Amino acid sequence: MLLTIEPDGTVPIYLQIRDRIVEAIAGGRQPAGSPLPSTRQLAVDLGVNFHTVNKSYDLLRQEGLLRLSRKTGAVVHRDAHSGPPNPDWAEDWTGRLRTLLAEAAAQGLPAEDIVRHCRDALADFAFPAGASS
Amino acid sequence: MNPGILVAMLEVPLTGALICATPAIGRPTLQFGVRVPADHAAMPVVRAERRAFYWRTAAVTACCTTVAVLVAGRGSVWPVWLVQLAQLLADLGCFGLARNKIAAAKQAGGWFAGRRQVVTTDTSWRTSPARFPVRWLAPAVTVIAVTVVIGMLRHPDLPPVPGRSAARSSLGGYGPVIGQLYVTALWTGLLLIIYRSRPDVDAADPARSARQYRRFLGVMARAMLTLVTLVDLSLLLSALRRWQIGHIPAAVTVLPFVTGLLVLAVVSLRTGQGGSRLSGSRLSDGRGPGPAMVADRDDDRFWKAGLIYVNRDDPAIMVTRRFGVGWTFNLGNRLAWLVVGGIVGGLAGLLILRAVLGPF
Repeated sequence: MLLTIEPDGTVPIYLQIRDRIVEAIAGGRQPAGSPLPSTRQLAVDLGVNFHTVNKSYDLLRQEGLLRLSRKTGAVVHRDAHSGPPNPDWAEDWTGRLRTLLAEAAAQGLPAEDIVRHCRDALADFAFPAGASS
Repeated sequence: MNPGILVAMLEVPLTGALICATPAIGRPTLQFGVRVPADHAAMPVVRAERRAFYWRTAAVTACCTTVAVLVAGRGSVWPVWLVQLAQLLADLGCFGLARNKIAAAKQAGGWFAGRRQVVTTDTSWRTSPARFPVRWLAPAVTVIAVTVVIGMLRHPDLPPVPGRSAARSSLGGYGPVIGQLYVTALWTGLLLIIYRSRPDVDAADPARSARQYRRFLGVMARAMLTLVTLVDLSLLLSALRRWQIGHIPAAVTVLPFVTGLLVLAVVSLRTGQGGSRLSGSRLSDGRGPGPAMVADRDDDRFWKAGLIYVNRDDPAIMVTRRFGVGWTFNLGNRLAWLVVGGIVGGLAGLLILRAVLGPF
């Protein structure tokens, strides 16, 4: 998986790392059970403090996407094929999605364009066969 | 002419030629230690400075080689080393001139304005890591073992030290073996650190450059271990001379070492820094380069004089060099200082041993 961040960007680095990993899981490039580098290794490769990577991994663990253990290291815990998400998570996500869509609407983006952008984004994700329709 | 003088004299044109050719083997996005966007790598100022650098360093090499040949006949290695130092300083001056002009043009033209400056890595570098070529270490270990066995067979007691009576024979007779052990351990240790270092991934085409780097590392590691074997072989030949086995001319003892240097130079020229000169068509995965407005992060501020990397926030011990082929230390990292201290301490230990036990 190629992981790209903007160290001098406005989004905190730990969130960028988290976002790229979530996108890789959704895109099927990092399926459930696949390993990720250790926090120290990824910190060296990105040239950032290892606490930054640790924070990203911890966030992904809290979201149920990553499993961290001393024996196996960091491993992707679930993906699009792992069944329905936790109901609490879905409720939280719906709230965040609403805010995100509201931003587009507030900026004057027509509803059709918002839907088109959503479809374009979804086209990059690896849903189980039959689920995307 | 003794082997030390001969090696020092040969190093002058060899080093000069390598430095002269260095701009051609670097990454296009790094010009004289200055980070430039991929679409600025062929700017008129860059091309002009490269041409000027070739001519200046070629002239320096020609002058220094002539002087080195003249002073080598005096029977001392010191004048040749002074010529090497003068050559290095002159080449550094040429580098500084080119670097300053390109950096000024970059600043004035705002080459990075409006670009997304990114850092990219390939996580498969860690999840499917490149393997250290242990087998390529076997020849060096064999040469050391052969040296020890020959020494023990020739001199069942400790081998003699030149200039000392048999009664004063000491561990110094095994000087060449100590040298072999130092060189082999040093390079093996450095290569192990390098294998754990980050890959040199180009934001303009990350997938391809990551694969190029993987190939580059394997090729360079094998070339370096070949050099180590040939250095050990040179030390074996010098041991044979010391132990009075056969009649080996002094010049012959340096041949393996010089051959190793040439092998490393040829490999470096063929691969380029980070594998940038390796075949692209064989490596491309069809995904092609990234967006045009994406560039590697402009990290010039961490590179002192374009050559020395000092970044306290970067946990890397070693990173790829900006000028030339290979790696350098991150002097902002305490562990890097420990490694440098170990290397210098080891060398100092060797010199002390040499003084106490006799010349190696």
